[in-house]
Amino acid sequence: MRVNECESMQGAGGDPWSSAWERAARGPVAVVDCREEIPCNPCEEACARGAIKVGEDICASPRFDPGLCDGCGRCVTLCPGMAVFLLDRSHGKGVARVTVPYEMGGELLEGGEAWAMDEDGNALGTAEIVKVKRTGGRTGTLLVTVEVPEGWALKVRGVRDRLISLEAPEETDAEQRERDYHLCRCEEINVSDVRGQAGWFNSLRALRRYSRAGLGYCQGRFCQDLLRRELAQTLHAGEGEVGAFKVRPPVRPVKLGRLGGEDA
Amino acid sequence: MSLAVEEREMAVVGSGPAGMCAALAAVRAGADVVVLDENERAGGQLTKQIHRFFGSRRHGAGKRGFEIAAELERECRGEGVELRLSSTVLGFFPGGELMVEGEDGVYVLRARAVVMATGASEKSLAFPGWTLPGVMGAGAAQTLVNLHGVLPGRRVLMVGTGNVGLIVSYQLLQAGAEVVGILDISDRVGGYEVHYRRVRREGVPFYLRHRVVEARGEEGVEEVLVEEVGRGRGRVLRADAICLAVGLSPLAELAAMRGCRMVYSRELGGFLPWHDGEMRTDRPGTYVAGDAAGVEEASVAMEEGRMAGISAVEDLGRMRGEEAERARSEVRRFLLELRGGPYGEGKLRAKECLYCA
Repeated sequence: MRVNECESMQGAGGDPWSSAWERAARGPVAVVDCREEIPCNPCEEACARGAIKVGEDICASPRFDPGLCDGCGRCVTLCPGMAVFLLDRSHGKGVARVTVPYEMGGELLEGGEAWAMDEDGNALGTAEIVKVKRTGGRTGTLLVTVEVPEGWALKVRGVRDRLISLEAPEETDAEQRERDYHLCRCEEINVSDVRGQAGWFNSLRALRRYSRAGLGYCQGRFCQDLLRRELAQTLHAGEGEVGAFKVRPPVRPVKLGRLGGEDA
Repeated sequence: MSLAVEEREMAVVGSGPAGMCAALAAVRAGADVVVLDENERAGGQLTKQIHRFFGSRRHGAGKRGFEIAAELERECRGEGVELRLSSTVLGFFPGGELMVEGEDGVYVLRARAVVMATGASEKSLAFPGWTLPGVMGAGAAQTLVNLHGVLPGRRVLMVGTGNVGLIVSYQLLQAGAEVVGILDISDRVGGYEVHYRRVRREGVPFYLRHRVVEARGEEGVEEVLVEEVGRGRGRVLRADAICLAVGLSPLAELAAMRGCRMVYSRELGGFLPWHDGEMRTDRPGTYVAGDAAGVEEASVAMEEGRMAGISAVEDLGRMRGEEAERARSEVRRFLLELRGGPYGEGKLRAKECLYCA
């Protein structure tokens, strides 16, 4: 992962969840789990209380002041990366409430149960759904609040209505049967044809002219990049050096009759 | 018989974010602008983006892509831009004429300024079995799911961990498919970490340093043999669809046909028309913007579109030089912002190389 080594936006604490921990004892607070410098700033405008600051440089990581946050959840809705959550420990009894954005379309109802997921997609267990808030109409994000044992509070990153089992299958030997395959589908030109004849051609145009690769219905829209990559590799040349097909009209298929003036 | 000829002041090819922003900038300076698009609706790729956008609020970040498209379309119509949909540009000739196939037939459109905002096309990947039904571009899968409500498969293998691969994987999950894995030849995830984590927390396995050895099946994809690079050990994944998210190339055929000088940039996706920082190509009255000028993302496309629109109206004599320069310097500032950070650096350098090439 390319994670930026920048200082955490929530002070020197590092983990944004643990730094929100104390504040969460008094009620819901946002946890801004945005660790990477990407050009993005909707969270800043989402917060009416000015608790989230990105500033002039929109690639800067957001800085968050838990003291100003009232836990309204607007930033949770608006973050395109779904990287903001709410944490609430004010209900005592060894439980915590975590609010996550949900866009999967499953049936999540207040009073029902959902699977609480950690950041690697492992199910922590089921949790009671204490609140479901629909935001912004039909295409809106759901804000789902689940009650979990306090021990999970820092681990929950999402909820699911059902579990799917997507474990990686067992490893096997990757049997290397050498199989030929088309590079140009329309004219059925194989990778072996290009490799075998590459010595004769030093450009994509020559390859097309003599092998017919790229002269079919798609006019190279599917195969030009594939042919270029293969030819460049075979010739130990750069992709830019082998060039591009000469382009002639029409660049999209058209009935000859229409070119001749026929109406649709 | 000869084709009908229509004379217009300015034409924009493509109604995506770049095209519509170019048209808006120009129409606001008083130009007569027609936007041509082969699709039935305006918005380009925005129309199938159901996720909330990154970027700055100025570019609609936090909103969903199709909402941004609808807003731009409303603005265009409100300002008097003619949006001519279901109109395919078939050719762009060295004299600057466009050949267009519209609903009523083929005609020639002659405009004093032409902005090419044609976007990009998906790159492919070839391996034994890639021609089986079920193998498709991630963008194609996104069109199926988000525009047509059709699943490309029940169990999908995604190839490529860039933002497109990650976002489309998430949308496939939303649509009810299982994503049996996301594979990348690289040993690290290419896209934004937040997108990675959004998919990861749903339990999707990542196969880094892996490649597809072959896809197998009779009538379509049934299983895929993948291999950890250099280890000779593989796994057979049960999947009925393979989505390829292995990058985009600028769709620049029209520029080549027009006679623009073409340059190759690996970082920007392949061959594209040379242009300067003001989006002028080396042909008079011919401009380029958005992914057709190098693959980046939608906010950049919007700013490049504005830039192209401003340069066009300046050259058309509808905007004085100082005014155009003021407007452009604002756009330049936004572009610099958007290309900041570790992800934007490479694009920024590639663009700067290009301007001087």
